[in-house]
Amino acid sequence: MPVSFLKNINMDKEEFISELKTIVTPYTQEPEALDHISEDTDFIKDLKINSANLVDVVLDVEEKFGIEIDNDAMARMLTVRAAIEIIEDKLAASGRE
Amino acid sequence: MAGNDLVDLKQAARDSNWQRTGYLHKICTAEEEQLILSAADPHTMLWLIWTMKEASYKVVNRLSGMRSYAPRSFVCSGLNMQGSSVRAFVAFNEFSLFINAEVSTEMVHTVAVLREEELGQLQTHYLNYTPGYVSDFNQSHPEYILSKNGAGLPQVRQLPGPQILEASVSHHGRYAAIVFSAPLYAGSPQ
Repeated sequence: MPVSFLKNINMDKEEFISELKTIVTPYTQEPEALDHISEDTDFIKDLKINSANLVDVVLDVEEKFGIEIDNDAMARMLTVRAAIEIIEDKLAASGRE
Repeated sequence: MAGNDLVDLKQAARDSNWQRTGYLHKICTAEEEQLILSAADPHTMLWLIWTMKEASYKVVNRLSGMRSYAPRSFVCSGLNMQGSSVRAFVAFNEFSLFINAEVSTEMVHTVAVLREEELGQLQTHYLNYTPGYVSDFNQSHPEYILSKNGAGLPQVRQLPGPQILEASVSHHGRYAAIVFSAPLYAGSPQ
């Protein structure tokens, strides 16, 4: 089992938020909003990420965590909270395999 | 009820690298991907397809109140190009939408409606985008007042009457577009 996987699955919420903050930084048009990013932060409404760049966020999350985000999961991935739930679910699923 | 979406092609070229691995697959069906990759100008074709999906999402979102990010589930078909104008269809779950798009070297602007006859009833106004483009519009068009309703959705009051028209606004890069669609109601008391 790769070390990075062990690290990912034991991450707490603050670590997930910090990783997501790094991922969304190049795409936000509201950089000040990153200072108080939380689980409630909405990628489009709060961070003003262009919807065409939300695809990049999804792809970057896939690469960072070594997961695949399917269509149904992507449909829900509008907030930091939803993104963390999706990452945790996919990591847990890959850990069971 | 109309939804519209606009892409400034030069801004999009700076902001999005759609050639990155996996990008097209996340937003397009296999047929759409083929259409883009075989087009004479794949960049413009991609943003044409994208604006069809976005404009359609805006209609569905306004009707259902549901938010989601499922561009691949908005399926484009029947593209018919006549000069700079494009007609097409988009299907999403039980919804079928009619598309009219205008394509230039600088931008793609697309409108989606539920009834085909609405396409002939639309008024489209293009502006240069500034943060104050709504007041720019109101100053240059004294016969209209563009504002937001209680739910934060754009509407246009046509003066002098009380008639309120549903509107759809979109801006990207250098441009903004305002589209009014069929009346919400007419002749209601003030």
